[in-house]
Amino acid sequence: MTRNQIHSILLSAFAVVAALIAAASLPAAAQDPNQPYPTMAPVEQYLMDRDTEIALARSAAPDAISHDASVIVLTRHGYETAVEGKNGWVCWVGRGWMAMFDNPEFWNPKVRAADCLNPPAARSVLPYAYKRTELFLAGHSKQEVIAAIKAAIDKKELPPLEQGTVSYMMSKGSYLTDNGGHNGPHLMFYQTAKDGAAWGANLTNSPVLAVNYWYNSAETYPQLKSFPPLSVFLIGVDKWSDGTQAPSM
Amino acid sequence: MRKKKVGAIAIKSFALLVVLGTACLAKAQDATTPYPNMAPVDQYLMTDQGAEIALARSAAPDSISRDADVLILGRHGFETAVKGKNGFVCIVGRGWTSAADPEYWNPKVRVPMCVNAAGARSYLLRITKITELALAGHTLDQVNEAIAKKELPPMEPGAMCYMMGKQGYGGDSAPHWHSHLMFFYSDTDPAIWGANLPGSPVVAIADPMEHLTQFVIPTQKWSDGTEDR
Repeated sequence: MTRNQIHSILLSAFAVVAALIAAASLPAAAQDPNQPYPTMAPVEQYLMDRDTEIALARSAAPDAISHDASVIVLTRHGYETAVEGKNGWVCWVGRGWMAMFDNPEFWNPKVRAADCLNPPAARSVLPYAYKRTELFLAGHSKQEVIAAIKAAIDKKELPPLEQGTVSYMMSKGSYLTDNGGHNGPHLMFYQTAKDGAAWGANLTNSPVLAVNYWYNSAETYPQLKSFPPLSVFLIGVDKWSDGTQAPSM
Repeated sequence: MRKKKVGAIAIKSFALLVVLGTACLAKAQDATTPYPNMAPVDQYLMTDQGAEIALARSAAPDSISRDADVLILGRHGFETAVKGKNGFVCIVGRGWTSAADPEYWNPKVRVPMCVNAAGARSYLLRITKITELALAGHTLDQVNEAIAKKELPPMEPGAMCYMMGKQGYGGDSAPHWHSHLMFFYSDTDPAIWGANLPGSPVVAIADPMEHLTQFVIPTQKWSDGTEDR
């Protein structure tokens, strides 16, 4: 598979594994693939039963990690802490708007991306998720949110990326994309890189995939070009968080 | 202490590769070791330069290794055999670069690895320095002393390597390793990645003496794209 082919199916940082499965197994969705979800759905469609959301969030990582993690849940105004943990990890269920700003499934209300972030990621990645979420739920447009995040970065209200960030996305219950099997267990790593070359990502037979955190194509929202370089690297794993075998990816 | 920790981790399915993937500078000259001393240097060399280059490159998919530098072992250390252009560097490690303690001097060990650019500027320098000291006849204690003096740089952010080769010889205790990636950090607690916990796909060993933590993540395929199950 060529680099271009890989990039064509890297729909979001959450969705890369499922998108790869889809490319190999299923025809494309019936909707316009460019704009299947052009606008935000009613907020209720993004919300979950609180206990169900806590359980799904925790299922992102093996119990040995998530049992002692903090858990945050989505409300009408943003994420709030539902469980105070003690190991520095934070588990949550990401929604579609945590993907790149030009991801076709950005507003897909079905997306439930269970994720457990290690302490460096919780400190330096999660604040961006909080910011996005609060602004979108308050009714701001993508353009406004992009501008607000940029201003917050410039004013150092949002932190720089820490070293050693990793997140576990090994839940059987996640829904990452409309494509293919919708899900696949993997780990994600955040790096201050403009692309995946540093880790040999997206090359033939490489087990590492990478996407830009901010965009798939910088042309849709050119102001994102001025954002700090941030790439998400993904490595598939062979088991779900409960220890059962996952399909080969 | 260190051996006890390694032994405990060895229960895990991928532990052997971690044991072998740990640069071992500790007490290799143990009375029980089958390789108490360095063998004649010829036994560590590969006579076929082309074979060593090919083995080194097999550590990573061809899409990466074909444009990598390749170093091969000479009588005094690793030497550049192929100049690459993508920042990756491929080598075939020997016992002193990656084998478990008892096999530090095992002349049969052949461990292909391709480090990325950040790894080449940090982790690989450690490997090449250890190799030069070993081939110059320095004792392990002297090698350890060099590291303790911090004559070697800390790990760079993002330092990692591919170890996805089917070939190679990991050592008598674990001749054939599973395909995996390794990530290198200085003085980092394995818990920061959730390593070594039940159900975690990440295995790690932190070596305080070396100020080095190595995280290992198994991959599902070999560098040639075939399944490793």
